[in-house]
Formats: sequence, C-alpha cells, structure tokens
Amino acid sequence: MRPSEFEYHKAESLEQALALLQEFGDEGRPIAGGQSLVPMMNLRLARPAHLVDINGLGLDAIEEGGGVIRIGALVRHETYLAEPLIIDNFPAFIDGVHAIGHPTIRRNGTIGGSLAHSDPTAELPLLCMLHDGEIIVASAGGERRILATQFFEGAYMTVLEPGEMIVAVELPVPPASSSGAFVEMAERRGDFAIAACGVTLEHAGGRVTRAAVACSGAGQTAMRAPQLEEALEGLELECPDAATAIAAFTDTLNPPDDHSASADYRRALIGQLVERALSVACSRAMEAS
Amino acid sequence: MIEITLEVNGETRRLSVESRRLLADVLRQEFNLSGVHIGCAQGACGCCTVHLDGKPRLSCLTFAAQCDGMSVRTVESVGGVDADHPLQKAFRSEHGLQCGYCTPGFIMTLIPFVEEMTAEGRMPDDEEIREAMSGNICRCTGYQGIVEAVRKAIGENLKEGAQA
Repeated sequence: MRPSEFEYHKAESLEQALALLQEFGDEGRPIAGGQSLVPMMNLRLARPAHLVDINGLGLDAIEEGGGVIRIGALVRHETYLAEPLIIDNFPAFIDGVHAIGHPTIRRNGTIGGSLAHSDPTAELPLLCMLHDGEIIVASAGGERRILATQFFEGAYMTVLEPGEMIVAVELPVPPASSSGAFVEMAERRGDFAIAACGVTLEHAGGRVTRAAVACSGAGQTAMRAPQLEEALEGLELECPDAATAIAAFTDTLNPPDDHSASADYRRALIGQLVERALSVACSRAMEAS
Repeated sequence: MIEITLEVNGETRRLSVESRRLLADVLRQEFNLSGVHIGCAQGACGCCTVHLDGKPRLSCLTFAAQCDGMSVRTVESVGGVDADHPLQKAFRSEHGLQCGYCTPGFIMTLIPFVEEMTAEGRMPDDEEIREAMSGNICRCTGYQGIVEAVRKAIGENLKEGAQA
C-alpha cells in the first residue's frame, strides 16, 4: 500500500521544528530515519497530515558529562557499534544494537524514532529502561525529562503529548566494576522479537552487589523486574544459580497467548533468556576482574 | 507538490512530486528504472534497496521529497545491460538467483559489503555474510548460493589485488 496524503516540511532548526509541531498538534509527526514511521504510513496505520523532517537538525552527538552519557535523538543505530563511550560502558546495549533490524535499517533508524514508536519488543526501549535512562523531550513550551520506565504506556503508545519531540536520552555512567548482557529470540534474524532480556550487574569480591533486569515479550511494553533484581544481590559470579528467583519472577508474568507463541511458551522462554543473559553478564564480569 | 532535484545514475532532473510519493515509485515511474523492485513496502524484504548518497537505503521507506539534492544509484548503474559486475557474474555462476525478483536488492545491499571486505583484504566467514544480507529475503535459492556468490566475488577481488 501507499501512504495517505500529507504535507512535508523540512525543518531548518530545532526551534522551527517545535513551532511546526506545536502548530500541527496531533496531526503532525516528526520524521527522522523513517524506519518505523514509514511502514506504519504505508500500511495506513499512521496517517499524519503533516510530516516535519528533522534530519537536518544535528542532535546526533554522543557525549559524556555530569555522570551521564547523553545520546542525541538522531543518533543512528549503527553508530554505537563504533562508539567507545557505549562499547566501554554498556555491553548489554551493544548486544541489543546487533539485534535491531538489519544493517540497512541500523544505518538509518534513530534512537528517538525507536523510542517514540514504542514497539512492544523493540530493543532500544528495553535497553533504556535497563540502563535507568531518562528521555528528554522538547516542545515549544520548553523541555521535560521522563524516566524510561515511565515513558512507554503500551504498544505504540507513549506519554509524548502532541507538539512534543524527543531530543536526547541520558544514561547514567555505570561504575567501573559492572557488566551486562542482552539476548533475544526472534523467528528470523532481525525480525520482531518474541521476547528479549537484558541484565546489568555491579559486582565486588566475586559477588553481585546490584542487578538490573529488563525483559520484553510479557506485555505491551518492556518491564523491569525489581523483585528479581533484589534476589540477585549477593549471587556468586562464578556459578550464578538463580533458577528459583527466576521462576518466582516468571510465575508472576501474564504474557499474551497468540498465533506466534502460547503464554506458557513465552513464560518459559523469558525465564531461559534471563538465565542466559545473567550467565553471559557474570562471565563478562569474571573476565574483566 | 514539492519541487526536487535528483541525480539518478548520473542524470540530474528537476521534478515536481507529491509529498507522499515513495522514492521507489518515483524511480520506477519517472525514471523508468524497473530494476527497483517493491516487495513488501514495509522494510522487511530489501528488494527496493538503492544507494542514496552512496549508502544502501530502502527506497520504499523513503519519500522522494526527502531526497532533494541527493544522488541515487540503482541496479541499472551496475554492470550495464550485460550485468557483468563481478558480483552479478558470481550470482549467475553460483546459483545466487532463480526468479530474480530479489536480486537487485541483494546486489545493491552487498556491493558495499564486498567492497569493504576487499578494502580490508579479508574473506568474511559465512556468518558475517549472512548478517550482511539479513535484510534481504529470497524465496528461491535458500540463500546458500548467494553466500557462495559473495565469497566468490570477494575471493576474485582479493586475487586480483594480490596480482596487482
């Protein structure tokens, strides 16, 4: 299919983009890489009357400062794979980037676009939640900051208001003795995931001192697992047996039951993915220390 | 309607397009480049891959209006009517195609990969080749012939480089 009619506007500055988005309200959408929005428009699941092209605005820096790493909204996915600030600090993030779509999609898609699209099993929403990310959103009225854990409301739904646009994401710099991993399961490489899981660990003396776990595939958005995270504290890196805690977590899940997988399968799969991500994160922590 | 200037396979043209027109449709209908194939129109099959300012891009996920002043290369710019680019020849000899619908997309996706490997002077393993072509779907070959064609094209480039 082909998109319905819209008016195209190429923004020359952030100010101009925000003014246009304010003018158009819920009839307007920013477009960057278009790797999620244009398929939605081709399928006529999205029919914005106005597209504001923000590709010319810069917003593509990755910078460290004030204890955070700030990723501009227009950073393309493939950029991370050669970016020391991400490679050195966020191993789980790098794992996740490899699982985003295909090379051509990774070259064009942006982090702002992926977060605003809010696909239930997309990698970047999960990774931003895992890394305690904050999403910085601008409108003609100013800026606001939203925790990634509070940003996603459902499949293709976020707390973004008409006229607002994501400008950056900030991830706190993890301490030196930290590690992480991300694994996902999809029917085909690069396809939408059935489920995915990311784990980060801080450690000392061969044991986990703080853990974060995020998974997708159990609901309309990715989720953190606070009780499981607590249960993982004190875990030995050398033989991380967390089967009981993981089972206690997956028992609480109520995943969808549909043509691509049953609820039981998804629950079992998420448990497996948590176990694998945890095991990789622990061996990476051992290698580094 | 939006006025844009496109340079396509060396020919520069100014044209007026509706905002909603996909680059793929403009290339096919305005430039008569029927080698730009449209499979899924949602970014899953890779058939419509062209080079935009030198880099592979899905022309079904790109509005022509976004490409003002840019340079486009389609499969027609590769190997001429005889399709004698080393990768195209390797596709023929290694059974890298059957019906041919997906082939332009594979060729445009894989040419930069073959060039990159040649420049690095190394033969990638099958896993890496499969990753490079993971955004393209082929329903005929089962992919193994395509993997072999890529290996052959890189191998021949490396041999030539060694002789030169």
